[in-house]
Amino acid sequence: MNRRPPHRLPAVLWLWLLWVLLWSTPTALVVTGGLLVSVAVVFAFRLPPVSPQITVRPLRVLRLVGGLLRNLVASAASVAWAAVRHGPRVRAAIVEVPLTSDSDLLVTGTSMLTTVTPGSLVLEIDRERGLLYVHVLPVAGPEDAAGERERLRRAEAAVVSALGRDARAASSQPPRKESP
Amino acid sequence: MSAVSDVASAVLLLTGALFCLLTAVGVLRFPDAVCRLHAAAKAQTLGLLLILLGAALQLPLRYAVPLVLVALFQLLTVPVTTQVVGRTAYRTSSLHTPSLVEDELAHRIPPEERAPSAEG
Repeated sequence: MNRRPPHRLPAVLWLWLLWVLLWSTPTALVVTGGLLVSVAVVFAFRLPPVSPQITVRPLRVLRLVGGLLRNLVASAASVAWAAVRHGPRVRAAIVEVPLTSDSDLLVTGTSMLTTVTPGSLVLEIDRERGLLYVHVLPVAGPEDAAGERERLRRAEAAVVSALGRDARAASSQPPRKESP
Repeated sequence: MSAVSDVASAVLLLTGALFCLLTAVGVLRFPDAVCRLHAAAKAQTLGLLLILLGAALQLPLRYAVPLVLVALFQLLTVPVTTQVVGRTAYRTSSLHTPSLVEDELAHRIPPEERAPSAEG
């Protein structure tokens, strides 16, 4: 925790890059001004440290991003089709998906991926019990909802295997707490 | 070369516009707030990405880079917005319950604990 600067450096670099990209002409003034502004912003607005419990596996991250884009196309098509075909009579369901990971970043990643996964949208995140409540559309019946749950579990496994500290341990970990 | 990129841009822009139109159809026709979010979160995002891509093909690189940033921030912020709006919709009874096949959240947030719907 006392190793402060390494945590801030990526944020400064990212903001600096963003500044230069937004100006789109890297003159000396833009570059030095960007550095000053990003350092000022990072030190003026202190963010809580993101838990560093992740290991980035670049190949799997690439595969994840590729899958994300493919999913986005599929889900846009399926929602558009549902809008035209079913409209007001569309059927939906809310399913509970247990999370196996307990790191903020992994939960964020999983819910992002879930949102672009065809037909699903995160409604509620229960961090204490490690549960995700997902709204699914369109569904034909209860068996459809069960299939959806299985698919979401696989999506989470993909996030954990790309970013989890120990992919194998994370995926075989038992659920954290029982619901009362 | 320019003819190829013109055709590619035209296809991308038109497909993007089509998805935006279908989003509007979804927003109009779906029964409740969360179903409409599905349309807004997915079809709209894809429509925007396709339009940005189509526009980027026509621009010199230094002007195309900010468009990449637009796409990136769209992808980062949409899940957050939909989750917050969806969560609020559920807690204010804005869901059209007859169209739900299954509701596993109901036992955690029972109807009497939710705020009454504005529509009554």
